[in-house]
Amino acid sequence: MDTHQATRTLQVIRTLMERTCQYQFLTARAGLAAGLMAGVGALLFVYLDPNDPWQFGAVWGLVFIGSLAATLFSTILRVRERGEQVWTRPARAVVQALAPALFVAVILSVFFFARGWHLWLPGVWLLCYGQGALATAVYAPQPIRYLGLGALGMGAVALLLGPAWATAMMGFAFGLGHIALGLALLWSERRDTQLRLYRSVA
Amino acid sequence: MHAVKRLVEELDPVLHERGRLAIVSVLAAVPTLTFTELRDTLEMTDGNLSVHLQKLEDKGYVAIDKQFVGKRPQTSCRLTQAGRTAFTHYLNHLEALVEQGRSKPGA
Repeated sequence: MDTHQATRTLQVIRTLMERTCQYQFLTARAGLAAGLMAGVGALLFVYLDPNDPWQFGAVWGLVFIGSLAATLFSTILRVRERGEQVWTRPARAVVQALAPALFVAVILSVFFFARGWHLWLPGVWLLCYGQGALATAVYAPQPIRYLGLGALGMGAVALLLGPAWATAMMGFAFGLGHIALGLALLWSERRDTQLRLYRSVA
Repeated sequence: MHAVKRLVEELDPVLHERGRLAIVSVLAAVPTLTFTELRDTLEMTDGNLSVHLQKLEDKGYVAIDKQFVGKRPQTSCRLTQAGRTAFTHYLNHLEALVEQGRSKPGA
């Protein structure tokens, strides 16, 4: 064994250890799809009125459902590609970690909509999203940790800027944020593929 | 080069095998894994995994527990303290090899 082989072996060991305790099925495709949907959602408000709670709720509700559907669909595709199971131990851990933040987001959404304060919701959603992402960071690829920290920071900025920036913050944070996540996952997937190839020929 | 050669010769021969190293790497990341989870994670066959696990158990690196969950038998595997220590030593040796390579370009 030479130093090059030692380095590669260490890389493979690290990848194996990460794969064992991390949820690996969050795909670049899902991140990019969610980012595009959020971007389109923000652009729709060129024609729609964000002050109308029905229009605001409908657009961002559809973006949320679309992003969730894209994540589920791409996850199932990835799982089938690898011949693995969907409901694994890391998957259960990720769902359990996400549940409290999702619950808080739903309760606060109802509360803010009921009082006509919906334009403050982007800040609240970003804070909940950041909290959820950080809660899953132990089980998720490294980019999720940065996404969580970024979302917390953007949530604070959104609340400071106020309702006038609601749509812009949604487009910027959820749109560009998810596209950045998708690109980071794409890089990570390519590295993982290279290591898999190495494992198969080593 | 002698230092590198010595480091290579000191690598644990039980761990210095692709399949067994993969098993120990995976078990080092979690408290315990079932046989099925281990097999699926490493994409090994039942027979291949069994043979490697047996060697690791004989060496005292892995503990294998068999129990019933409901009516189904379940085999779970975990790294022992001896296995964790051996794995740590193995990683230290690899890192030392890398360091040797850095200090002597072309090694």
